[in-house]
Amino acid sequence: MSATTRGTEPLTSPRTIAVLGNPNVGKSTLFNRISSARVHTSNFPGTTQDASVATNADSTIIDLPGIYALDLDTSESSVCRRVLKGELAPRGLEAHVPDTLLVVVDATNLMRNLTLVGEALALRLPTLVVVNMTDLAARKSIVIDTEALSECLGCPVVSCSARTGEGIQNVIEAMSDPRVPDRTPPTDLDALELWSEDIYAHVAAPQASVLHDRLTDRLDRAFTHPILGVFTFALVMTGFFYAIFKLAAIPMDLIDAWFGTLGGWIGSLLPEGAIRDLLVDGIIAGVGGTVIFLPQIVLLFFMLALLESTGYLARAAFVIDRVMRPFGLSGHSFVPLLSSHACAIPGIMAARAVPDPKDRLATILVAPFMSCTARIPVYVLLTGVLFPDRPSAQALAFTGCYVVGAIAGLLSALIARRTILRGRSRPMALELPSYRTPDIRAALMLTLDRAKVFLRKAGSMILAISIVLWWLGAYPHSDPPMQAVELREQAAVVVEGASELEAQADEIEARASVERSFLGRIGSTIEPVFEPLGYDRQLTIGVLASFAAREVFVSTMAIQITGSDDVEDDSIVERIATAQRDDGSPLFTPATSWSLLIFYILAMQCLPTLVVTAKEAGGWKWALLQLGWMSGLAYLGAAIAYRVVSIIG
Amino acid sequence: MDTERSDAQHSPEIDTEIRIPLTQMARGQSGRVSLHGAQDDETRMLRAMGLRPNASITMCRLGEPCIVSLSGACGGGCRIGLARDIAARVMVTPND
Repeated sequence: MSATTRGTEPLTSPRTIAVLGNPNVGKSTLFNRISSARVHTSNFPGTTQDASVATNADSTIIDLPGIYALDLDTSESSVCRRVLKGELAPRGLEAHVPDTLLVVVDATNLMRNLTLVGEALALRLPTLVVVNMTDLAARKSIVIDTEALSECLGCPVVSCSARTGEGIQNVIEAMSDPRVPDRTPPTDLDALELWSEDIYAHVAAPQASVLHDRLTDRLDRAFTHPILGVFTFALVMTGFFYAIFKLAAIPMDLIDAWFGTLGGWIGSLLPEGAIRDLLVDGIIAGVGGTVIFLPQIVLLFFMLALLESTGYLARAAFVIDRVMRPFGLSGHSFVPLLSSHACAIPGIMAARAVPDPKDRLATILVAPFMSCTARIPVYVLLTGVLFPDRPSAQALAFTGCYVVGAIAGLLSALIARRTILRGRSRPMALELPSYRTPDIRAALMLTLDRAKVFLRKAGSMILAISIVLWWLGAYPHSDPPMQAVELREQAAVVVEGASELEAQADEIEARASVERSFLGRIGSTIEPVFEPLGYDRQLTIGVLASFAAREVFVSTMAIQITGSDDVEDDSIVERIATAQRDDGSPLFTPATSWSLLIFYILAMQCLPTLVVTAKEAGGWKWALLQLGWMSGLAYLGAAIAYRVVSIIG
Repeated sequence: MDTERSDAQHSPEIDTEIRIPLTQMARGQSGRVSLHGAQDDETRMLRAMGLRPNASITMCRLGEPCIVSLSGACGGGCRIGLARDIAARVMVTPND
């Protein structure tokens, strides 16, 4: 091995390199450039901070959260402090003082960045300072004398542009030769600021005149304008959602078809029995039903990353801040709530970026009110039942669902901020990064990462839930009812119409098997609870089965009514729409449909989200509060809708 | 005004310079930040973001958000957006 030839290298653990820097200095872009090998996202145990870790043959690079100062009372700063002291490491790594500290600074913003450098130097670790964004600096005619800077700081300094790749090779070479700084910067904040001003004056060539960036100025004013800004925001969001829903439909259909084929193939390979049913109806159907949302989640994160790297999101945060503040949320809550429209899980995880703890909790609590993509199949079914053959009315009702969800979320936040999370949201102070062309490479890396996290979740938590739900719905097995047996006997002897008889038998059998399963028994017991909402036994089973994942409602109804869960088939949707209750009255009356629609807009009905809430909010009490509040509100809203529509007729 | 008084409490030294809240600056006007003494979390955050004592700033947009450029401090023109509540608490000494 190479270790024998390189005697000076430690044999045990690889070198740990920690990357520190201000937000918006291109730290992550640089990280991606220098980490040629495996990059994965983990987190810092006991915190809500993400950690990107790259493992090369001889080194481990840790990308720390972007911070303005080490001594701030924020979770990001605390993570950085503890990692640099050797008290904390990303999950899976052993905590020890990093062997190299790489401090990234922005050439166009050097003076402010220098105070963080000063704090970093005081740690007396082998340090390398990287002056990034030399391309932007050159455009603004800013010249930084790296040699003079190295002299002032007492450690090596290299410059590069992580975006263009210029100078990256120098950074990689310099990384193997960091130096413990031989200068000691002051520790007092006032003195540190003066120190950074002195150094700045020494290393940066004085500019002949202050550059007025008129374009940035105009764009800023347009994007944050009370009318124009809101208009731009609405336009961007329309495009955003259009892409998520329209473009994602193509790969979603493919995934759906693929899982369908996989289920059919495995079904044909295995002998009939519990194992086949578990694999096909439980695992493949359950995981497939979740993985189908992957394209939307991938697109969401890709476009969010693109938008973020253009610099627009920081401006949009201020536009939305004006709307959210009266409800006790801040502009920081915007990205988490936007993401929740794809899926509440990444949305709640994105709430890590909300700096104020109470703002963050309020955001997490109301995130599942945003209409996620799992609600779409339910919305489609119910608006279709309510407005048959009237696509424009369907579309209006569909949009209305999103609006009702968002309003319920905002009002819930308001109530939370007046009671359990008393206080006003923290006013925003946000750096507005320079406008840039989007960094597609970085956006792709981030997206890939998020997709992996989502798939891991689908492979563990959601898999487990699918198995449990399948079991509850499939057991105990019951003998086929007499009626079905008779129909099958008839089908065996008749010449014409045998397939129709078979289908009828399937239907009767499916209904009977669901009715007698554990889920069916629970449904019958609980039915009176849902009676004020207008639901019968079948609908109660549908609601219960979808407790863990709301999209299950549609397939459960399809199985109960038709014995097949192929809701792609128009005739099946029609059969659901015209289905009857046990007493022969229609299953979906307008009052029941409205009641169900309101119920699904407001109800929690997603077990994985509850698990994530408990984890991110720091306790099951928050998840239970979320579940109780949302279910209560959904129940009340649905009962009112049922009464009102029943009376109006 | 409320904001001026609370800032004055933090500032032990008496100086003769005119100090006004950011929100009272005119668009395009420049000045120097005057944040002596205050050491609460918010001020420390603002200082770390570059709104440090004596940093030279230019007002780019008034209202909500108020946008200031730290062209003096940041060389290139780092811009910071502030909610009105925060901007009202940041004191500046206008140039001229």
